Amino acid sequence: MGALNERKAPAPPEDTVAELNLRLLKLEHRFQRERAARLHAEAIAEKGLRDLYERQQQLVLLETIATVANQSRSVEETLRVAVRAVCDHTGWSYGNAYRLATAGPPRLTPADVWYAADPDRLAPFIALNQQAEFVAGQGLPGRVLGSGRAAWIADVAEDDNFPRADAARACGLHAAFAFPVLVGHDVLGVLEFFHREPVSPDEQLLGVVGQIGTQLGRVVERRRAEDKLMHDASHDPLTGLPNRLLFVDRLERAVAAHRRRSELGFAVLFIDLDRFKLVNDSMGHAAGDDLLVQIAGRFGRVVSEARGADAAPLVATLARLGGDEFTVLLEDVGGEAAAIELAEALQETLRRPFQIEGQDIFTSASFGVASCAAGYAGADEIMRDADLAMYRAKAEGRARIEVFDQSLLADAKRRLATETDLRNAVRNKEFILHYQPIFALDGERLVGFEALIRWRRADGEIAPPSDFIGIAEETGLIVFIGQWVMQEAFATLAAWRSAYPEAGPVTMSVNVSPRQFHQPDFVGQVMAAVRSSGVDPSAVRLEITESVTIQDARRTKSILDELRAQGVRVSIDDFGTGYSSLSYLQQLSFDTLKIDRSFVTALKGAGGEEIVRTILDLARSLEMDVVAEGAETAAHVEQLREMGCGFAQGYFFARPLEREAAAALLAAASTPDPGAD
Amino acid sequence: MKGVVFNLLEEAVVREFGPDVWDDLLLRADLSGAYTSLGNYDDEEILALVEAASAALNLPRAEVLRWFGRRAMPILKERYGAFFERHASSKSFVLSVNSIIHPEVRKLYAGASCPFFHFREDAAGAVSMDYDSSRRMCDLAHGFVEGAADLFEETVDVSHAACMNHGDAKCVMEIRWAR
Repeated sequence: MGALNERKAPAPPEDTVAELNLRLLKLEHRFQRERAARLHAEAIAEKGLRDLYERQQQLVLLETIATVANQSRSVEETLRVAVRAVCDHTGWSYGNAYRLATAGPPRLTPADVWYAADPDRLAPFIALNQQAEFVAGQGLPGRVLGSGRAAWIADVAEDDNFPRADAARACGLHAAFAFPVLVGHDVLGVLEFFHREPVSPDEQLLGVVGQIGTQLGRVVERRRAEDKLMHDASHDPLTGLPNRLLFVDRLERAVAAHRRRSELGFAVLFIDLDRFKLVNDSMGHAAGDDLLVQIAGRFGRVVSEARGADAAPLVATLARLGGDEFTVLLEDVGGEAAAIELAEALQETLRRPFQIEGQDIFTSASFGVASCAAGYAGADEIMRDADLAMYRAKAEGRARIEVFDQSLLADAKRRLATETDLRNAVRNKEFILHYQPIFALDGERLVGFEALIRWRRADGEIAPPSDFIGIAEETGLIVFIGQWVMQEAFATLAAWRSAYPEAGPVTMSVNVSPRQFHQPDFVGQVMAAVRSSGVDPSAVRLEITESVTIQDARRTKSILDELRAQGVRVSIDDFGTGYSSLSYLQQLSFDTLKIDRSFVTALKGAGGEEIVRTILDLARSLEMDVVAEGAETAAHVEQLREMGCGFAQGYFFARPLEREAAAALLAAASTPDPGAD
Repeated sequence: MKGVVFNLLEEAVVREFGPDVWDDLLLRADLSGAYTSLGNYDDEEILALVEAASAALNLPRAEVLRWFGRRAMPILKERYGAFFERHASSKSFVLSVNSIIHPEVRKLYAGASCPFFHFREDAAGAVSMDYDSSRRMCDLAHGFVEGAADLFEETVDVSHAACMNHGDAKCVMEIRWAR
């Protein structure tokens, strides 16, 4: 081995060296190839990583905006977050938002939403944009408005459609892009961004901001839908005026403001159209609606033109509470004077007729005023009082303005007390009937009675119908009272007929109130009372006022026809005092017409006789009997008889009598008159 | 330390001294030397390579780092030309390191710990650059600045007003460009 070690290694042959050199060269080439491949792979991977990173950042951006878009209810707040997020994401210096103008020619106006990382340096440009407006095609925002697509300017200094180039350059801004806030194809706003350096268009970024524009559009759309829902919930769909909900809300705030600062006065106006129901009933609901819309329009103009003492416009809310009821809330007014003045103006605006279905319709309204002077704690109290004042206006003859005072409240309380008493009276049967005799004028024969209700109150006082029938009608108690009247009156008649058969056939008239008449089973109730008393239906007279007949002529006719088919007779009461239409009178075949006492009283006056004669002629031609009411003197009776009036009642013959006195009259009629023999 | 820095160092060494010297450095530092630009490697490895170069070339460590930074700049420009194109001077390039270059680095390496350079420019145009990093490679930054000046054919003077390698809390370099 040692010998071997000492020997020099033989030099490699020449061809082997060349071979090794070749292999080395190949290895170096292979190394270079591998290295180039590695660098290439790294470059590809770097690009992939960079793209992935940018994509992720874009997703973060979209997510940031999606989150605020989903959570925020404010369009402005969402825009603010979006502008800031896009600046943060891109590193661009300044972002600014425009919104589509809601009024005037279509154009973009500043949304007062912008962000700049360094606002001081950009102050002149920011200030310029806060005043800028763009129509479609004009400048960068206008281009986006016109096309509905995002736009990119690599350098605004070199763009021929960028009017703000000087200001941008002065602030060192070069690249710009903008994108639309889109709902469908509608551009509702535009966001623009600026950068310090010129930057060539980045299609990927434009794609991302396009998605942001769509998201922002959804927020605007949702906000619009919410606004519409809110509007619908707080406004009357027919007139577009605020509804009760919104009115009460504003009133509550006015009350609260007044309590905080007493100089912030307010007043409330309650308005109820007079006889609106008549239009609805006679012309149909479409006509009624048309009238309400027109009235709302006139009221709206008056309210918006109304000026306070200092000639400044009044802070006023006109609302429709429902039906034909309107209200106005006046804020920041001293007291009720402004409300009265406004009520007068509103009343004035109703003087001109309304054109409804080609007809001139006249209407008026009753106004109730209540003001903060009474120191209210809540909206319900002031609404109650304005309502009470309005009812007073109505009761005092309509088309009036009444201001609430405490006596109205006292009245209302009294009415409420009466209502309670009346309920007890129904339960305790505190009613009695008086009977007023009706005489035939040929020979002054007793032919019947009109049953008249009285209320014998707990204190023994006898109250006339005028004290309680109105309340009974309003509360519906009239239905029970009316039923009792029929039962009592018919039973009395039955008792008298068996007690005084010789007195001849006398009739019993009872008054029927509108509410009672319109009970679904009115005919059944009448016939039940007739049957249980055992009287002949033909001895019964139901007296109906004209107001019953105008409510629903067709139904009225069918009820009257049914009653008459059962043998019951029907009178039209207080004839001439309502709004009778002669055609109704003809259609609704009454048996008897009762001339209102006012005409009889006026017989002596100018034209008095002609009126009564006309009524008599009318009744004769319609083949109706006539009973004159209020015959107080011998002269009345003589005159009526001469004119051919068949029957009369009144103080000349007898006052309404208690049951015993009436019976005595019958008893007297039963005794043969010695003089007649 | 990012693999790309090892790649740059290798490239610089190979260009100036040939591939064998790089192999020798790896042997001296007892490192495998398989570095990809996308990888992340122990800071110790770059320090070991710098130590090895310092010993082989008989140069102080600081000199090696400065040399490396300066030589790396043209290689960086070959690979990432876009970062240089938008600048007209080495100053504006240097000042863009926080806002442009390091954000780009972070795109490639999630969570990369790039040093933050705090710059102050005085009225005369001189820039003072604060450097604060546990790696204490202020000399590499120094070399980068010089390399950038070379690329823009400018002359620059960098002096260390404070240095972590000399016990200061942070490094402060004063950079002056010749008019």
